[in-house]
Amino acid sequence: MTNITAPTNRSGQSEIPQTSASSHTLVMLVEDRPAAVDRVFGLFRRRRANMQTFTLAPSGIADVVRITVVVDDSQVAVDQLVEQIRKVVDVREVVNLQSQQAVTHELALIKVNATNTHEIIELGQLFGAYAVDITSETVTLEVTGSEEKIATFVGRLQPYGIREVARSGRVAMARGAGEP
Amino acid sequence: MTIAAKFIQQSGTTYQAKQTEEIRELAGSHILCEALVREGVELLYGYPGGAIMPFYDALTSYPSLHHVLVRHEQAAAHAADGYARATGKVGVCVATSGPGATNLVTGLATAFMDSTPLVAITGQVAWSLIGRDGFQETDVIGVTQPITKHNFLVRSTSEIADIVHEAFRIARSGRPGPVLIDVPKDVQQKKAKYYPSAAIPSEAQVKAAASPVPSAYLLKQAAQLIAQAQRPLIMAGHGIILSNAYAELQAFAEKTTVPVITTLLGLSAFPDTHPLHIGMPGMHGPAHTNRAIGASDLIIGVGLRFDDRVTGKVSEFAPNARFIHIDIDPSEMHKVKVATVPMVADARTALAALTETVAADDKSAWLSEIRSWQAADEEKQQKIQHQDELPDPITILSAIRAATDGEAIVVSDVGQHQMWTARHYTWTRLNSHITSGGLGTMGFALPAAMGVKMGMPDAPVWVVAGDGGFQMNIQELATLQQEGVPLKIAIMNNGYLGMVRQWQQFFHSRNYSETPISGPDYVKLAAAYGLTGMRITKREEVEGAIKQAMETEGTVIIDFVIEATSNVYPMVAPGSAITNMIEETGEENA
Repeated sequence: MTNITAPTNRSGQSEIPQTSASSHTLVMLVEDRPAAVDRVFGLFRRRRANMQTFTLAPSGIADVVRITVVVDDSQVAVDQLVEQIRKVVDVREVVNLQSQQAVTHELALIKVNATNTHEIIELGQLFGAYAVDITSETVTLEVTGSEEKIATFVGRLQPYGIREVARSGRVAMARGAGEP
Repeated sequence: MTIAAKFIQQSGTTYQAKQTEEIRELAGSHILCEALVREGVELLYGYPGGAIMPFYDALTSYPSLHHVLVRHEQAAAHAADGYARATGKVGVCVATSGPGATNLVTGLATAFMDSTPLVAITGQVAWSLIGRDGFQETDVIGVTQPITKHNFLVRSTSEIADIVHEAFRIARSGRPGPVLIDVPKDVQQKKAKYYPSAAIPSEAQVKAAASPVPSAYLLKQAAQLIAQAQRPLIMAGHGIILSNAYAELQAFAEKTTVPVITTLLGLSAFPDTHPLHIGMPGMHGPAHTNRAIGASDLIIGVGLRFDDRVTGKVSEFAPNARFIHIDIDPSEMHKVKVATVPMVADARTALAALTETVAADDKSAWLSEIRSWQAADEEKQQKIQHQDELPDPITILSAIRAATDGEAIVVSDVGQHQMWTARHYTWTRLNSHITSGGLGTMGFALPAAMGVKMGMPDAPVWVVAGDGGFQMNIQELATLQQEGVPLKIAIMNNGYLGMVRQWQQFFHSRNYSETPISGPDYVKLAAAYGLTGMRITKREEVEGAIKQAMETEGTVIIDFVIEATSNVYPMVAPGSAITNMIEETGEENA
């Protein structure tokens, strides 16, 4: 029985502790029709997938939207989830992007108190952030990059007094000629 | 899928005949009817109301569409479901907006869990009122989303025909399921050009209907596992029936001599009398079947999803076995048990290909071992004395089978009688066992049997129901009477919600909370509906009553008064290993 590869010893029902769960980036191309996004979104709840981010925006194709979801597999095996998503009639394509094969980015807008505007802007430059709005009271910075980078930046801005943080959630794309 | 492929040919022919017709301007309601006719629909079950009235107005212009007026929309969905299960065609039900549509919900969920092809058409308030809490407005698309394979809100009259054809295609393709079409009232009223050409299946649809043969690599792996296995088992599910794979299953089992287990929804996919058939698995399966699973080293699962009532405690289900899993739905692979050979394919195509690949074999030693366990169990059973003189389930079921020469289609409800029927009826007619398995919907049997009988008018159709479930859709007796549909109904009346009572006895310290239940006088009830009723209280009268029912025209209700505290044995406690069974000792109720 040497040529029979052992399957992964993990069935679709997953009950692993949150701490050892791994996160997955699912990218979907979905027909832009009424209730289509609903169908995808509802499926995550029904199949007990724990969503961390969900982003939705037009794709490069007319009448098709691109949805990027970050889920962890503490409650459901992700391969199982992908097959369920594939069954939704409105879903054209779904892939589970492996982090090493994908470029992933997030955008954040961070509004801080203008206690020391120059220092804040200089700090921002170290992170490649731009000031997109400056008033006498506040400075709003725009930063893009990995979740870790944004988290670090937010941490560094903490001493100035953060008023508001808006994060876009992860968007991702396969490296090289990979699709989608 | 075969059914789909056959159908596409048919609808192609229909189109050829109609091709000469000119493009006409029609109201949406008429386009809806035209499209249904083009799909080959003959029967619809439904109930009119405000938002669906334009459709009902158009319906009278289409005499080939026979509409059955049910007494509750839930029954419309179950009847369409029964019709679809018995005939393999798509069942159709119709309801109005709001309460009409929400009454369909249980029926849609039942069909969804058991993969039945169904198209439900619901009226909706006018487009301009949607989202404004109009009279009888419900977000039916939202409500039915988790229990349909797909649903459509029709936005313009010109979309209707395409959506109807797409709905039928989705309902019957791959793993079948219910599809709902919600049609606002003004969309039904407005006119649009109707192009009969919409009935032509696209190339992509024809291609999707043709099931690909599993890869040679997987077939070879499977054949190798089968050749090496000492204690292999075939577990056959509903997929055999859905893909019409009876002959292929039998050929495969006979070539390899692998014993066959049929799941609840797989019953009647393989004859019970076949020497290789060894029973039903799971919670109420016979001990030798579950013991065989426990000892097995290879499970060949075809068209089943390893439901928790089948597996019991998953980690102890077939602990020594590898799995070959054949199913048309990729999301079923590795869901419960990790498959060494996952084969995403139509059961019929896969079994035919696998039969060609495997070498003929003789595993009869393993079958003999299972038979020896079975003989020992049966000997133990025979020692248990049943003293009482009341009719008992086994006598009733045997008498039904004898009176119909095994040709009856038996539709059971949900509960103890369902398990007795599954276990003690000898299934030989293919696709003759119809029941709500996945959802376990009480009240299913009576309306579903109506659909079965209307789809298969030449077959004797028996309803076996408990006194609880029967009362859940009892109003459909009026529909049977109005339509002149002759059903034979056996009520196993124990004055209890018996299965719940049994669980209370085993797992809730005999605290019989809200399980004693009374009912009407069924003889008078039958008379009130213009039907025939009988009440049988003695075992020796069972056979005669069933014969008499067969000889009586029209629907006959027989109220069999059975032992109040009979239990279904053996039983596996929920969450236990299936090899750990509660067996009858004869002293339970002492």
